[in-house]
Amino acid sequence: MKVFIGIDVGSVSTNLVLIDNNNNVLDFVYLRTSGQPIKMLQEGFRELSSRLPKDVQVYGAGTTGSGRQLAGVITGADIIKNEITTHAVAASFLVPGVQTILEIGGQDSKIIILRKGVVYDFAMNTVCAAGTGSFLDQQAYRLNIPIEEFGYMALEASNPVRIAGRCAVFAESDMIHKQQLGYNTPDIVAGLCEALVRNYLNNVGKGKQILSPVVFQGGVAANVGMKSAFEKFLQTEVAVPRYYNIMGAFGAAVLAREEALKNGKTKFKGFSVSEEEYRASGFECDGCANCCEIVEIIRSGTVLARWGDRCGKWSSSVTNSERIS
Amino acid sequence: MHETVGIPRALLFYEYYPFWKTFFDYLGIKTIISPNTNQKILEEGVKNCVDEACLPIKLATGHVMYLASRADYIFVPRIVSLAPREYICPKFMGFPDMVRQCVPSGTRLIDTNINLYRHRGEEYRCYQELGKYFVKNPFKIRTAYQKSVKKQEDYCSLLKKGLFPEQAMKAVDRHNVKNKGYNPGGPVIAVIGHSYNLFDRHISMDLIKVLQKKGVNVVTAENLPEETMRSETSILPKRLFWTLGQKMLGAAFHYMKQPEISGIIYVVSFACGPDSMVGEIIERYIKYENTPFLKLTLDEHTGEAGVITRIEAFLDMVYWKAG
Repeated sequence: MKVFIGIDVGSVSTNLVLIDNNNNVLDFVYLRTSGQPIKMLQEGFRELSSRLPKDVQVYGAGTTGSGRQLAGVITGADIIKNEITTHAVAASFLVPGVQTILEIGGQDSKIIILRKGVVYDFAMNTVCAAGTGSFLDQQAYRLNIPIEEFGYMALEASNPVRIAGRCAVFAESDMIHKQQLGYNTPDIVAGLCEALVRNYLNNVGKGKQILSPVVFQGGVAANVGMKSAFEKFLQTEVAVPRYYNIMGAFGAAVLAREEALKNGKTKFKGFSVSEEEYRASGFECDGCANCCEIVEIIRSGTVLARWGDRCGKWSSSVTNSERIS
Repeated sequence: MHETVGIPRALLFYEYYPFWKTFFDYLGIKTIISPNTNQKILEEGVKNCVDEACLPIKLATGHVMYLASRADYIFVPRIVSLAPREYICPKFMGFPDMVRQCVPSGTRLIDTNINLYRHRGEEYRCYQELGKYFVKNPFKIRTAYQKSVKKQEDYCSLLKKGLFPEQAMKAVDRHNVKNKGYNPGGPVIAVIGHSYNLFDRHISMDLIKVLQKKGVNVVTAENLPEETMRSETSILPKRLFWTLGQKMLGAAFHYMKQPEISGIIYVVSFACGPDSMVGEIIERYIKYENTPFLKLTLDEHTGEAGVITRIEAFLDMVYWKAG
């Protein structure tokens, strides 16, 4: 069977998706990156291959997410795409006619506006990561509530408290203050969700025309509290697609399929990448006052790729495969 | 003994360097320019400048610090106004005083006032004052001024032909310049931003080159005549009195109506007051034209990854729209 693989290496989660020739999702893996993108990527491959039917053959691979370059080098991806495009591709595939995509991931949030099936405008959070997945994670931990239950707890609230969502630090101290005053936890949790949505709409969504159908995706879409807060503020139905947490990987797989079919062959290195030994190491270049931090990806002693330099001195000299760090 | 004047490669350097260089050359003064921004210059600037200042001012401080131990004088004109009834950003006006607080004592700053608020003709008087630091003969200064004006005209006409400041600075001195980076058939994208952000490769993360490598043809506000930008902004209900803001806005208004322009990228520095307002105005007007638009915010913490992600997504959007 012909399959295509999409890989999304994000700050918080690493996802792999397998699709067939008709863009149907066959299988997927969702793992926490836990700061070890290479290890988790290999883990994902191992998990996926253990469940794989015998006759499967990978015809193309695509990577996305903040670790897309790294994943692309390791797996031999046919296409390395930014996460905005892959999310847009995925949503317009699963929800035809979608006009607005709200995406909240581990460390960034974005809004993508589509019109007539084409990306028309987008924005990403700039200087502040308040309101993203890792912030919610932290607050859930602080309140001693498992993140999975966080959203449901918000739905129990009768009277959400008002929390300042402008800044994660202020939101936290605001929340503590409300706790000390004796407000009940569901109201605080719901208040937090509303604060985050308010912050998102005023920041990332500022000046954007949000038209339905609206799709809410990314890891945070698992949080029903966030979904209902969005619905409350937007006064419209917000759909969470079935594969909300692996949309980036799905979009990458769809694009990989297109790319591989166009090229007629794939550069994918096979599931054996999970068995090889990969290592990333870095050093500071002392060639000039810029002091670039160079990263090297090493497979069993040979250098696969380097990046991080402004001048291209190291990234373009990979062919000699001599290790520097 | 020849005295040396240091010119920081920052702020209005990209707009006026040929003028200043010609002026000092004719008076027999050697000029030293600080090098292209590197991490060390940026760090020096961030360390020495007041926290509240914007990135370009911090960076300029870093360049002044570099020159402090290397030149006899540092040229930090107090630029108040560059055109009648217009002002320049107040931070430019305060810049000489800001740097005076952080340069080692004994550093000699040349902080001639440049204020053309009342009349363009005031410029001559400003440069007479500047020349007097070094030369007594006013006629010699006048000739230097006239030569500089001529040079500046040549420089500006090269910019209007589509060259970027770095190329134009070489071309104006009769060096051969290859206009690299033109890709026939590639999309044309207008990159709008202050010259001290755009053409500082460190700060802009070599944005223009990144785009060119992806097959994009780049045009900037520098490639337009001043009159175009002024007349474009006349549709606003009130006259915009920030010279630089007007330039950004005028260029955006002009380019968004040109059918050959596939998209506009607006580069702002974080904490820039005028930019934040001008950006808002551009965003509001550009909606009517349906031109793909991206606002890139830069500061000293900006990671290259975030910028690249946005540029890639923006180009995908442009190509997608073109079909």
